Amino acid sequence: MLELFLEQLVNGLTVGSVYSLVALGYTMVYGVMRLINFAHGELFMLGSYLGFTLLVSTSIGELGVGWGLIIIVLMVAGAMALLGILIERVAYAPLRKSGRLAPVVSALGVSIFLQNAAMLIWGSRYRAYPVWAALDRRWEIGGVHITLMQAIILGVSINLMLLLYCMIQRTTLGAAIRATAIDQETARLMGIDVNAIIRFIFIIGPALGAVAGVMVGLYYRQLHFTMGWTYSLKAFTAAIMGGIGNIPGAMVGGMFLGILEMLGAGYISAAWKDVFVFVILIALLILRPTGLLGERVAEKV
Amino acid sequence: MRKDSIVVLVLLLGLLTSIGTAAPKPIRIGLQGPITGAWAYEGEMAVNSVQIVADQINGAGGVLGRPIEIVIGDDQGSPRQGALVAQRMVSDGVVAVISSYGSSVTEPSAAIYEESELLNIAYGATAERLTERGLKFFFRTCFRDDRQGQFFASLVDDVLKVKRVAIIHDNTTFAKGLAEAAKRFLEKSPTAELVFYDAITPGEKDFSPILTRMRTTAPEVMYFTGYYPEAGLILFQARNLGIDALFVGGNAAINDEFVNIAGLDVAQGSIVTQEPLPTDLPYPEAKDFLAEYIKRHGEAPSTPWPVYAADALKVIAAAIEATGSTDSRVLADYLREGLKDLPGITGPISFDASGDRAGAIYRAYVIDDQGQLVPY
Repeated sequence: MLELFLEQLVNGLTVGSVYSLVALGYTMVYGVMRLINFAHGELFMLGSYLGFTLLVSTSIGELGVGWGLIIIVLMVAGAMALLGILIERVAYAPLRKSGRLAPVVSALGVSIFLQNAAMLIWGSRYRAYPVWAALDRRWEIGGVHITLMQAIILGVSINLMLLLYCMIQRTTLGAAIRATAIDQETARLMGIDVNAIIRFIFIIGPALGAVAGVMVGLYYRQLHFTMGWTYSLKAFTAAIMGGIGNIPGAMVGGMFLGILEMLGAGYISAAWKDVFVFVILIALLILRPTGLLGERVAEKV
Repeated sequence: MRKDSIVVLVLLLGLLTSIGTAAPKPIRIGLQGPITGAWAYEGEMAVNSVQIVADQINGAGGVLGRPIEIVIGDDQGSPRQGALVAQRMVSDGVVAVISSYGSSVTEPSAAIYEESELLNIAYGATAERLTERGLKFFFRTCFRDDRQGQFFASLVDDVLKVKRVAIIHDNTTFAKGLAEAAKRFLEKSPTAELVFYDAITPGEKDFSPILTRMRTTAPEVMYFTGYYPEAGLILFQARNLGIDALFVGGNAAINDEFVNIAGLDVAQGSIVTQEPLPTDLPYPEAKDFLAEYIKRHGEAPSTPWPVYAADALKVIAAAIEATGSTDSRVLADYLREGLKDLPGITGPISFDASGDRAGAIYRAYVIDDQGQLVPY
């Protein structure tokens, strides 16, 4: 029984770490700008498609799992970071001073635009990542099945999250981000370039989302232009579970959601999984309205 | 030959042909289908198929000495459009209608035909509930979804001869109906046992938790009744979790995309339960029909459905011939009581009291090493 539970735990953490990576993009933007960036899921989806194109139509994949993967992930993350800055410039920056509703509508517009663009570029049929046999290698450790790709997803996401956490907590840039999140006006008075911080957030978030996108593509192999929506719903839930605006909260929330889904599907009934998950979410929000690691959401009076 | 004798001959011929066309009034039969829209391909093949049968019947002297004329109505695969087409068919005064391809389109159309007491025979509408409303004028030449469940149960017992079976559906009306039917029939099986039954959420990608739980029940066969995007993922993830149960898919689960997503190595050997493809029908009627179809259109119909439309016309023609009437009430009674094992393209045709086709003809196909479906 214990082995089974451990294996289910690995399953849950694998899904959960992807949710965490995507949730980080939501929560960082919300923390700094109080904006729910609905376009974030589409960046994840575009990252997945871009990785697919690089793998299929260039010879980077022939470098092998190690270097090939690293180069592809870096290229995709870079491209999505650029796109992130562009979106911020075009869709959000002009609305910086115009209340909270306008940027949300603008975000929805960007989301629809990107989704349709992906459909026109890559078509409305399902696409599949090529089989990369090396990634399908699997082990059985003490009765627990784990594939290389699961290990990569877990390892890469946990390391990226630790890196991000250290940067936010230990560096001056991190301190500036935290200051901007607490109060933009005061941060500006302290000499922090708030616009630069916002641009930086729009580099990190999409880059992390893109890494998640490539890993999801490699693991599940199946791509569709609507996939961003499914994942952003889950990631958004994870961000709220952890406490939206709170960076460690998004990490914990994603893992927690993954484990809850695993418990629901693995021990109760897969058909009732979402009911189980959302009942717990509602209960959690009643008991702790600010989420698991709830931050004192700075009320603007 | 002398000139005046040619003139006489021409006049005579002209007289003969004018008598030939003027005397017997054609019997007009409607064909409602998705001629345009997302399923236009299906509609086109249905028209081609029905036309072949109409020409064959007319070539052999027609029905009651009268030729058949097909009246086409385009429902675009939309329920709303279907209702409009049905009303037009009724006011057009056709004798009977072949209608239609999808269950959701057929439902409102069948209600209008019922009100107008007009015989209508569906060729692609497989949802169980259509024949559960006690419609008197509705029949179908295709089989109900639950028959496929029954076929799966017999496949497990008689062909695969395995004991431990897992069933997964995806909570959509069609997949759930098929899964419930398969479950119902498996529970009657003397040898096989249903060890796992659950549903996934369509659109998701990770099914490891449910599959890991399924693994503890050690199934020998897993039957997935949902659609191909999830089918490919489920199979691939099951193999990664060390599940080597035989994968069987319902008739929406397996196609080229399934092979693409799961990968050929993994997909190979998987089985699908579905209606026989027209090219695999063993009956002499089917061979004649197929030869004619290929002669006219260059290739065989690529899905099972068009030949059910062709069979619907055969049924209507046989009923009119046998009863000597074109009254839908007489025809419907005959189809229920009188018609027995009419040799159709898709096999012998009889109807039960609810208007469903009796018997069930399903086939198991297996994916070969080229990714093609071949009879199992």
